[in-house]
Amino acid sequence: MNSMCPQVSLAILLSVLASPPANGSQPPGSRNSDGLLVMYDFSEGSGQILHDRSGTGTPLDLTIENSPAVKWSEGHLNIASSASIISRKPAKKIIDAVKKSNAISIEVWLKPINDSLAGPARIVSVSADPSNRNVTLGQDTTAYDVRLRATGTDKNGLPSTASPNGSLNRKLQHVVFTRDPKGATRIYIDGKSVASGKVTGDFNNWDNNYRLALANEASKDRPWRGELHLIAVYSRALSAKHVQQNFAAGTQLQTPTSPAEALAKARAHVFETQIAPIFARHCIECHDSAVTKGGLDLSRKTAALAGGESGHVIAPGKASESLLWESVSSNEMPKNRAPLSDGEKAALKQWLESGANWSVERIDPAIYLHEGHSGEVWVQRLTVPEYIQTVQSAVDVDIAKEAMEILPRDLRTDGFSNTAYNLNIDLKHVEAYAKLAEIIVSRMDVLKFAARFSKSQKLSTDDTMRDHVASMGKWLFRGPLNQREINKFSGITTTVASAGGDFKEAMSYTIEAMLQSPRFVYRIESQRGDGTEHPVGEWELASRLSYIIWGAPPDESLLQAAQQGDLFDPEKFDSHVKRMLKDPRAIQQSERFAAEWLNLGRLANLRPNATRFPGWNAELAKDMQQETLAYFTEVVWTQDRPLANLLNAQLTFATPRLAKHYGLQPNDDEDVRYDLTSVPSRGGLLTQGSVLTIGGDEASMVSRGLFVLQDLLRGTINAPPPCVNTTPPPTKSGVTQRGIAEGRVADANCGVCHVRFEPLAYGLEKFDGVGAYHEKDEHGNALRDDGEVLVPGEAKPVAYNSSRELMDFLANNKRVQESLTWKLTQFALGRPLLAKDASSVAEIHASAQKQGGTYPALIHAIVTSNLVLQSRTEPDQK
Amino acid sequence: MTKSVINRRTMLRGAAAVTIGLPFLEEMLLPHALAAESATVPVRAFNVFFGLGIPAPLQTEGFDGVLEPLKPLSNKLLIMRGVDQVRADQKGINAHYDGATAAFTAQPPDGEAKAGGASIDQVIRRSAYPNGLPPGMVPTLVGGTFFRRSRIGRYVHSYNPDGTVAGTMQESPRDLFERVFGSVDVNDDGKDARRTRLKRSVLDTVVDEYKFYQGSNSPLGSTSKARVAEHLERIREYEERAYAMKGNAPGAPGLPPESRLLHGGSADPGGEGIDITLDELSAEWRLMADLYALAIQTDRTRFGALTFLAAGERIRLKGDYEYAGRKVFEFDDAGQRKKSGSAACSHEWWHEFDEKKKNEQLRAHVHMKMREVAYFLNRLDDKDSLDANGKTILDNALITISTESGDGRHNDVKRELSGVFHAITGAGGRFKTGDILDVNAEGVDVYNTMLTAMGCTSHLGPNQREIKAIDAIRS
Repeated sequence: MNSMCPQVSLAILLSVLASPPANGSQPPGSRNSDGLLVMYDFSEGSGQILHDRSGTGTPLDLTIENSPAVKWSEGHLNIASSASIISRKPAKKIIDAVKKSNAISIEVWLKPINDSLAGPARIVSVSADPSNRNVTLGQDTTAYDVRLRATGTDKNGLPSTASPNGSLNRKLQHVVFTRDPKGATRIYIDGKSVASGKVTGDFNNWDNNYRLALANEASKDRPWRGELHLIAVYSRALSAKHVQQNFAAGTQLQTPTSPAEALAKARAHVFETQIAPIFARHCIECHDSAVTKGGLDLSRKTAALAGGESGHVIAPGKASESLLWESVSSNEMPKNRAPLSDGEKAALKQWLESGANWSVERIDPAIYLHEGHSGEVWVQRLTVPEYIQTVQSAVDVDIAKEAMEILPRDLRTDGFSNTAYNLNIDLKHVEAYAKLAEIIVSRMDVLKFAARFSKSQKLSTDDTMRDHVASMGKWLFRGPLNQREINKFSGITTTVASAGGDFKEAMSYTIEAMLQSPRFVYRIESQRGDGTEHPVGEWELASRLSYIIWGAPPDESLLQAAQQGDLFDPEKFDSHVKRMLKDPRAIQQSERFAAEWLNLGRLANLRPNATRFPGWNAELAKDMQQETLAYFTEVVWTQDRPLANLLNAQLTFATPRLAKHYGLQPNDDEDVRYDLTSVPSRGGLLTQGSVLTIGGDEASMVSRGLFVLQDLLRGTINAPPPCVNTTPPPTKSGVTQRGIAEGRVADANCGVCHVRFEPLAYGLEKFDGVGAYHEKDEHGNALRDDGEVLVPGEAKPVAYNSSRELMDFLANNKRVQESLTWKLTQFALGRPLLAKDASSVAEIHASAQKQGGTYPALIHAIVTSNLVLQSRTEPDQK
Repeated sequence: MTKSVINRRTMLRGAAAVTIGLPFLEEMLLPHALAAESATVPVRAFNVFFGLGIPAPLQTEGFDGVLEPLKPLSNKLLIMRGVDQVRADQKGINAHYDGATAAFTAQPPDGEAKAGGASIDQVIRRSAYPNGLPPGMVPTLVGGTFFRRSRIGRYVHSYNPDGTVAGTMQESPRDLFERVFGSVDVNDDGKDARRTRLKRSVLDTVVDEYKFYQGSNSPLGSTSKARVAEHLERIREYEERAYAMKGNAPGAPGLPPESRLLHGGSADPGGEGIDITLDELSAEWRLMADLYALAIQTDRTRFGALTFLAAGERIRLKGDYEYAGRKVFEFDDAGQRKKSGSAACSHEWWHEFDEKKKNEQLRAHVHMKMREVAYFLNRLDDKDSLDANGKTILDNALITISTESGDGRHNDVKRELSGVFHAITGAGGRFKTGDILDVNAEGVDVYNTMLTAMGCTSHLGPNQREIKAIDAIRS
C-alpha cells in the first residue's frame, strides 16, 4: 500500500491533494476540467520547466531545452525561434487515458506570430518525427490542422482534420480540437465550431513511447512560433458547452495553491495516512475521550497536545524530548499489547521531528480498520447474484436456479459477500461457468439474439462475422472489443465452419466462450497507471453505475451514453442516475444491501435449542427475513424516508405466525402490515427477529452490543486479551444477562472495552434469543430496557430509559447516519473503506444528508463521488 | 503387417527436434476386425493442398525450377500441368477461395462454408466402403497448418457429396493427435470427436483470454493479475480433467508439446497477416505431417486432407531457407516489401508475378512449399510405410496434390484459374508416374478419370455433363 509508505513522493502527494473537484462540481464561471490530463498555464514566469497544473496523476512537466529561443512574459511564453519544449518521459498518462476513453480534446490559447507557418508547424504534439505520431495540433498557414492517429488512419494521423483557410489569425485565439468515442472530430475557434470530420477506429495503435512536445516536432524539424498562453489535453471530447465555458473563463487559471499551502496539505496527508492509523491501532483503546488512562486522550488534537497526568507527551520538532516517543520506543507502551513495529516507530519519530503536525480534530479508529491486502486494487469477479442478473440482462435467460446450485457461494468478509479480494476462484467456479454457459446457450434463441447485432447470417469472417462478433461482444462484455479480441472470438466461428457447422452453431459456441471469458465473469477495468488516481473511462463508469445501482450490467441506454461520452456531462450523467434509481432493479439491489448488511442469510441456518424454543421453525426464520426486507423496502422506497429511520420506524410486516411470535394480535393472512405506534416494545430494525437472533440462544449482550457498536456506530474494538475466559456464565434466579454484563463492565480488565458495547444491548434485554418479548426471564427475574449509549469518540455516555428511547436515539444520531453511509458505500464499491477514502465518504454523507439522507440520495452521492469517478492505479513494474 | 505396425511404435521425430513417442494404445494396433483385410492393401485417398499456387510459366521449368524438391519422388508422381478450374469462378474477386474450393472437387463453392460437391477422397471412400469403414477408424482425417481462416474453402479440402466438410479440421499437432489417438469414441462417425474439438476451441479461446489478462499487456494491476492467474490455473486443472487422454496405457507418453504458433482467431487477424519464421512454420508443419503419416501408417485413417498454408495465405515469413545443403534464399517478406500488414505478406509476390521478371521471392516461397509437401510424401514412403504388397503407402494410395491458382494475379480469371498445378501418386499402378504431363484439360475431367480408375461409379460435376476421359494420365 503505497500511501502508507513514508517515502511517498511529495510531487505525487501534492498532485493527489490538488485533484480537481468531482464531476459537475465546479463553481460557475470556472473552467470545466472533467477528464483533464495535462495543463500548462505558463505562469512560471521564468526558468526551463513548464509545470503540469492538471492535478491528474504524476505531473508531466516539460523542459525548455533551448532557452534562448523563448522569452517569458506575463502569463505566457513567447516562442521567438525554433524551440524544443518537450517532456523528459513518454506522455504515458495522456496515451493511457486516451487509449482507454477513445476520445481526446486539445485546448490551446495562443497567438501565432504570422500566418505563413506551415508543415504544419507543430503547436502541441505527441509524436516522434514528421511521419510518426499519435496526435498533433499544428498551424498550416491560415488554418489549424490536427493529425490524429487511430486504427482508421495512417501512422502520420492522416487524413487530418483542418479548420477553414483563413480561420487562423494573429490575435489571441482559443482553439479546441475534440474527438469523441464514435470518431467525430471538431475544431472550435473562440468557442465556435468551425470544422468537423471523422477519425475512425480506436487508439490501440498509439505508440506508448512518444513524448509531449510544444512548438516543435520531437525531432525539432517542424518549429512553430508565437505566444502560448494555455494548453490542456483531456481524455474526453469536450462538449460545445464546455468549450464555450472554457473560452469564457479566459487564459488564467483559478488562484493556484501556494507552496506553503501545498506543504501544509502534504503534511496533513502524512498525519492522516501514517500517524493517525498508528494512534488508532495502538493507543486509543486506552487513551480516548471515554477511557482517558493517565488522563491522556490521544484521540483529540487539543487534548493530545495538552498531555496527561505526566504533562506534555508531544514535543513538536523534538522526538527525543517527547514522552510519547520515550514510552513507545522503549516498548513501555502500549501496555499489555504488542509493541509498535520498527516502521511505525520510524514514522512516528519522523513525524515528531518534522513538527508533529496534527491535522484532524479527532482520530476515528474506525476509518483505519482495513489495511493490508484489502487496500490493494482487486479486480471484481461477478458475485453469484451479479452473475445471475448479468446473464438475465445480457441474454434474457433466467439461470438463477442452476447458478445457485452449481456456483460456489461467495463468502462474507468485512460484512459483505461482494468484497472483491475475497471473491476468489475455485475449480468449481471454472466447472460451473463452463456448465452454465452451455445451459444458457441451450436456452437461448441464438438466431434471434444474433440478429440484434447484425442482419447477416453469413459465416464469412472477413465480410461480416468479425463485425458481428465485435458487436455482440460489445454487448456481452459491456464495452467494445479490441482487434485482438475480435480475432480470438471470430476464430471460433471459423473453427465451427471448418467442422461443418452453420451460423447458428458458430454463434452458439462463440457465446459460450464469451460467457466464460474474463470480460464477462469479471468487471475488468484498467488499473495501470502511475500509482495515483485516474478518471475512469466511460465504459468502466457505465459498469460501475449499473452494478452499484442495479447489481446488473449496463442497459442499452447506458452503453449508448458511454459510447457518446455523455456520462462525462454532469446533466446527462445525473439523468441516467435518476432513471436507474426508478428502475425496479434499484430496489432489488437495495434489498441485497440490506440482506448483506444485516446478514439475513444467517437465518436459514439458525438452529435454536428445540426444547427451549419449541415454537421455532424454518418458516418462522423465513418470515423474519421477509419482515426485514419488506420493512426496508417500505421505509426506504415507499415512504422515501431517511435511511436512519430504519432504526425507529413504527411499523412492520409479519405473517400471522410471526405476529403471534411477537405477541401481536395477528391480522388476517392478506394484511401483513402492522402499525406499531402503540406497541412500545417493537419498532425499528433492532426489534426485529432477524437482528435479535444475532445474540444466539442466550440473547448474548456481547453479540448484540457488538452488532450495534460495529454495524451501527462504527466503533472499533480489539480482540479480548489472551487467556481471558470468554464463556459467559449462565443466568439464574437473581442473576440476569444484564447483571452479568454489568459485572464485566465494572471489571478493571474487561470494562475498558465492554463499557463500549454491552450497555448498547441493555435496551434489548426483554427480547429472548429468538426475538420473543418477555417482561421476565425463565428464572422469573424482571428484565429491564434502560441503559446508556457511549457513542465512539464521545467522552460521556447518554442514558436512555426504554428500548424505544434507544431506537430514537440511534435513528437521530449523526454517527449512526454516517455509519449507514459507510456501509452502503462499502457495498457499492465492493471493498472495505480505507483511511484515504474518509474525506470522500464525508463528502458523500454531507451531500446525501442535504438531499434528505435517503437511499437514492446516498446512491446518487456515491456515484458522483471520486470513489466512483476515479480509479486507483498501479504503476508499471519495469 | 502387425510386425511393421509395432515397429512404428518406436519414436517419431519432429523437425524442430521435438521428439514424441507413440502412445502404446491397443487400438493403434490393427483391430481384430481388420485382421482378414490386412492381408490386402486398403483403398486410401488423401488430398494435399498448398496455398497460393505455382504460376503456370514456372511449372514449365520442370524439376529444374521450383519443383526441385519433388524430384527425388518424381518416379512415384505424375505432375499434371494445364489443369483448368475456370468453371469454379464465382462472381466477384474471390479467386483464392474459388480456386481453393475447386481443388479436389472441381466445383465452384456453394456459399460461404460449403463446397460445390464431394472431394475426390470422399467419392472414393463411399465407393470403396459402401458399408462404412471398419470400426475404430477415423473416417476422414482433416488437418493443416494455415493462417488464413475466412471461408473454409481456403483450408478444408475434404467434402461430402452435399458440399459439407467431411471431417473436423485439426489445426494443431495436438488437436490431430487427440483426434487420432485420443479416447474419444470414434464409432459415431466423428460426432463426439467433432463436439470435443469445438468445445476445445471454446476452451482454448477462454484460456487465451485469461492468459492475456495475466500477461504483461494486461490492464490489470499485480493483485488482480494474481487472481486471474489463479483462475487460469483452475482452468488448466479443469482442462486436464475434462480432456485427459484416458485411453493411454500406463507409462505411455503424453500429448505432443503445445503448439507455439498462433491458432484460432489469432492466426488470422482480419487478413492482416502474421509474422512467422521459417523454423517455426516448418517445425509445426512437420510435426503435423508426421502425425498424419503415422495415422495412415497405423491404419487409423484412410481418407482425408492435409493443408500446408491456406489459399490466399498471409504470412510475413522470415529466415534462411536452405535446400540440399545450399542456401536458396533469405526470407524477409516485410523487409523486402518495405510495407506492413497485409501489404507486406508473401501473397503479394503472387499478385505481382511477372513472367518476364525473376520473381525471386515467389520462387523461393514455392520451392519451400514443395520441400514441405515432399516431406509429407516421404513419410509415406519410408520403411514404416510398407504395405502388405511390399510397396509403400505412397505407391498404393491415391494422393492428390493441388493448389488454388495457376497464376495469382486477380485481373484475369482465365489465366488465374487455368494451369493449376496438380500431382498424383500411382495409386497401386492405376496412374502413370514418373512423368510431367501437359494434360490441358478441365479439372473435372481429370478428377473423374481418376475416380473411374479407382473404381468409382459416381462422378463429380453436373450430372448431365458428358465425361471426358483423360486417358493420358492412366497407366
